[in-house]
Amino acid sequence: MNDSVNLKKTVLHAYHVSRNANMASFGGYSMPLWYETGAKAEHLAVITAAGLFDTSHMAVITISGEGAFDLLQHSFTRDLNSCVGSSQAPLSKGRCVYGLFLETDGTVIDDAIVTELGAGRYMVVVNSGMGPVVSDHLRKLATAGVSITDHSDMIGKIDLQGPRSALIIEQVLDRPDAVLDGLSYFTCRGDIFGERGSDVTLGGSIPVLLSRSGYTGEFGFELFTALADTENVWRLILEAGEPFGITVCGLASRDSLRTGAMLPLSHQDIGNWKFGQTPWSFVLPKNGRGATFTKQFVGADSLLGEPDSYTYGFAGYDPRKIPVTESSRVVDADGSEIGIILTCTTDMAIDRVGDDRQRIVSVATPAAEGRPGDFRPRGLCCGFIKTNTPCRIGDKIKLVEGRRTLNVEIREDIRPNRTARCSMQRMRSKSEERETRA
Amino acid sequence: MKEIKDLNLPDEIRYSKDHEWAKVDGDIVRVGISDYAQDALGDIVFVELPEVGAVFKAGEEFGTLESVKAVSELYLPVGGEIVAVNMELEDSPELINDNPYTGWIIEVKPGDIGEFDQLLDRHAYLELLKAE
Repeated sequence: MNDSVNLKKTVLHAYHVSRNANMASFGGYSMPLWYETGAKAEHLAVITAAGLFDTSHMAVITISGEGAFDLLQHSFTRDLNSCVGSSQAPLSKGRCVYGLFLETDGTVIDDAIVTELGAGRYMVVVNSGMGPVVSDHLRKLATAGVSITDHSDMIGKIDLQGPRSALIIEQVLDRPDAVLDGLSYFTCRGDIFGERGSDVTLGGSIPVLLSRSGYTGEFGFELFTALADTENVWRLILEAGEPFGITVCGLASRDSLRTGAMLPLSHQDIGNWKFGQTPWSFVLPKNGRGATFTKQFVGADSLLGEPDSYTYGFAGYDPRKIPVTESSRVVDADGSEIGIILTCTTDMAIDRVGDDRQRIVSVATPAAEGRPGDFRPRGLCCGFIKTNTPCRIGDKIKLVEGRRTLNVEIREDIRPNRTARCSMQRMRSKSEERETRA
Repeated sequence: MKEIKDLNLPDEIRYSKDHEWAKVDGDIVRVGISDYAQDALGDIVFVELPEVGAVFKAGEEFGTLESVKAVSELYLPVGGEIVAVNMELEDSPELINDNPYTGWIIEVKPGDIGEFDQLLDRHAYLELLKAE
């Protein structure tokens, strides 16, 4: 359990150690798995109140210059001319979009959120340790005049997630109404890269880039800060969040929350195999029914035609997991081996209800929508599998490892009643209700 | 993680190299996991218990603990017949995290109580933890 000398530390490392976090190696960093509250309480806090995560291990790249747009159009799977909302509007300033960087053979280098900071200026957030890899890849594809900067370890990142996140962030933002009004899902405000500094500040004068996004499936924000400001921002949010039940959260709850929300972990659920049919196939710029793409991009030619693998979400019937090892496998109802397990974890906020134990409800499910009055979830095993043959939603399959066999069901979705897309207005008005009651 | 000095390791019980504890109570031995093990595993969300009447040798797997981190096998520190399992763990596996010594897992009627004497006392277990 000792930190290896080779592991990097985030700017908040001393805080994690001072809080007796259970530390582990992740993506080349020494990161907290959970704190003394425990991963289950942290997972539940994000669904019912708010959680604060140090995500400074994530890598941030900026791209700017005349050819920046063309570089992203050529290297990123989303068509920046038609990727925003159901109307397929172009990416514009303050908008974010999720997609992939692929090799020519259609394998995944990494997934990313691309944000337009301004005309010809983009922020690209990739995974831990991937800053150098993705920026080298982009430099090889870039034309003259494009500037690519890897800000790995030069920027702090903090995720505030959960239904009370708006109530907490408005306590510390300097002009909360101006910043939060109309801040819809996958939009951001502020800019910590521009020369004139951020127009979003908190705590009096600290510039931040505030993005309404995250990796938990719940309502919340990702905050990007200068490294020198990160500890201050962390402390300010924690203090402001205390009356709202904020809980500091580690990577274990981040993993169980994102799995229940059907979000992939790069290099585990997508990775160095050809991107097939997956729950995340919306990242490909399909034209109409999908026989062609709306643009040409690196990897496109490999992905036209029939997929050679199929990835599905699944949920079990109790909290038991299957260890994901080289020998673990997926078996269909006839006993034929059909694939491998990518992720297997336990979403501790959900359980199956009813006499037939078919329906999944969450602690966040309203009673009117079927949450029993005495609901005390034991948690459900869930995750992702990759098969060599198509399955149908609702298919019952088995996960096998050693002597353990788990029956699970292929699911289109896992944890119900998530809040990520709830409107800002609704999430802020809860404070008025609370104040009125108080 | 708890520092070794902060671990609760009672004197009157014995420990195995696999981080189970064993306590003699009349002619049975009660078994659980140590404070070190529960702290390292994190929240325990499910316990797979053996059938009463099952017989295991010392060192054999008798069940599994499901934590947020992993699936961990439980190994019997003293061989014998399972005479009781802690049914409370079925609905409240967190009892092990709350207190791993009151949150016992099984009781075994030992075939050879000499196996208990070969387990580690508190001092020897602490030395093992310091070496890990």
